[in-house]
Amino acid sequence: MDWTPPPRRSTAMRREQNLALVSAVVSGAVIATGLLLIVIARVNPDGAARMRGFMLDLVTPVWSVVRAPFDGVGRAADWANDYAGAVDRNRRLEAELGAARAELQRAAADRRVLTTLKRLDKLAEPTRTLISTARIVSATSGSVVRSAMVAAGRRDGVIAGLPVIGADGLIGRTIEAGSISARVLLLTDPASRIPVIIERTGQVALVVGTNRPALEMRDKVGADLPLRAGDRLVTSGDGGVFPPGIPVGTIIDPQEPVLVRPAAHPVGAAYVRIEAAYMAIAQDAALPHYDAPVPIEARRSGGGSPAPATPPPVPLP
Amino acid sequence: MAAVRQHQQHRLPFRYRDRLMAWHAPPWRLMNAAERRRYWWGHWRLAVPFATTLLLMLAMTAPLLVPAPVFPHVALLGLFVWTTFQPGLMPPWLAFVLGMVADLLFAQPLGINATLFAGTAGFVRLFEARYGHHAYGFDWAVAAAIVIVFEAATWVLMGVGGQPIPLLPLGWQALTTMVAYPVVVALCARVQRVAFGPGVTP
Repeated sequence: MDWTPPPRRSTAMRREQNLALVSAVVSGAVIATGLLLIVIARVNPDGAARMRGFMLDLVTPVWSVVRAPFDGVGRAADWANDYAGAVDRNRRLEAELGAARAELQRAAADRRVLTTLKRLDKLAEPTRTLISTARIVSATSGSVVRSAMVAAGRRDGVIAGLPVIGADGLIGRTIEAGSISARVLLLTDPASRIPVIIERTGQVALVVGTNRPALEMRDKVGADLPLRAGDRLVTSGDGGVFPPGIPVGTIIDPQEPVLVRPAAHPVGAAYVRIEAAYMAIAQDAALPHYDAPVPIEARRSGGGSPAPATPPPVPLP
Repeated sequence: MAAVRQHQQHRLPFRYRDRLMAWHAPPWRLMNAAERRRYWWGHWRLAVPFATTLLLMLAMTAPLLVPAPVFPHVALLGLFVWTTFQPGLMPPWLAFVLGMVADLLFAQPLGINATLFAGTAGFVRLFEARYGHHAYGFDWAVAAAIVIVFEAATWVLMGVGGQPIPLLPLGWQALTTMVAYPVVVALCARVQRVAFGPGVTP
């Protein structure tokens, strides 16, 4: 295997120079291609959707397998914990249960009244539809895009633009879907905008991710009531993606910028619900009407749609 | 230049590509069957830098342990380290391919990491040709400078690509990436020693 390389000749030097030139040209071409791709991505952000879905399908099963033993260890620790503090927790829960029962009776009465009122008003409400329950298998912890991968894809009916809800609250919405996996844009991503309502005051606002652990609340609408730390934010249902009433977070700093701690954390939420968009806006609603009737003035001036082609008059013999 | 390189060859790091390329192979008829098999199977080493960097990139999508976006950009460090260890096996076009994978994996607009990885590999290659083989601290400083420029360029290009992002988290990531350099370089050095043998030609 070890063989003395041939002595360097001028041809060898020339070949080296040629190779250096070719390599420089290739490098330049590659960088230029990259810049071109960025411009294309700006013009057409969904251009590589299929490739992205394919990559998701490759990566998600890997993490499903890798994290399985860690999940098992975590569950074992949970069981051990459950046994350790069982008595204390039991007493605390019994105390809470008493308060909750009273609250529940009031809520049941309220719900009955509400149902009656809605029936009187003939209020039609869209229903929430569960599409899939899936596991979060991984999440990017880099500082550019905050997303997570879930193990459900087009095969389960998951497409881009669906709300993803954990046990504790809102997780995010899907942005890409492969055939067995999908990517979820988390609340903390700078591109995330969640329409919320402040439970105590009833004002609506937007919760925006800033790529930091806390979210920001912006664009508050309504009377300028002072906010308090501890105010709960739930989804308002505006925009038609997220169903109303899902916990989003709690205000931790009422001064501007208002900081919000998210209610659900994607690491804690092992399983999430992926639901249908609450009130999906029909895709063709925004399209312009091409076969609208042309005004008579435009037709007279010849500016309307072209007249149906008539065969040229055939001269009679 | 070739003469100088010939003279320095005994203290340069061992570049495996030179041994594996067909024109440096021993004559086919002088090898027995076992040697031929060993020669051909030895080509897996060509993929070692690419595969290692790809695994580091995959590690960046691991289920996150902390809510703050502070995971270091280990793929960039891997790219830098392999471009210094085995420049022939980490050319800019291969870095471009790695960057495309990174874009798809991290849900960034296609082309951002591709451009920056290729640019990084090209820059390190030129820099090494001029100022190559320095002390450990110097390499760390160069890596730190590259990381800062990389994160700043990411911020600019994300804006160009139509997804503007805040700058502050990128600063945190740059810091953690600089701190993570020794770990990544130790890991890659271990891989290099296993795959390519001792670091210096005997």
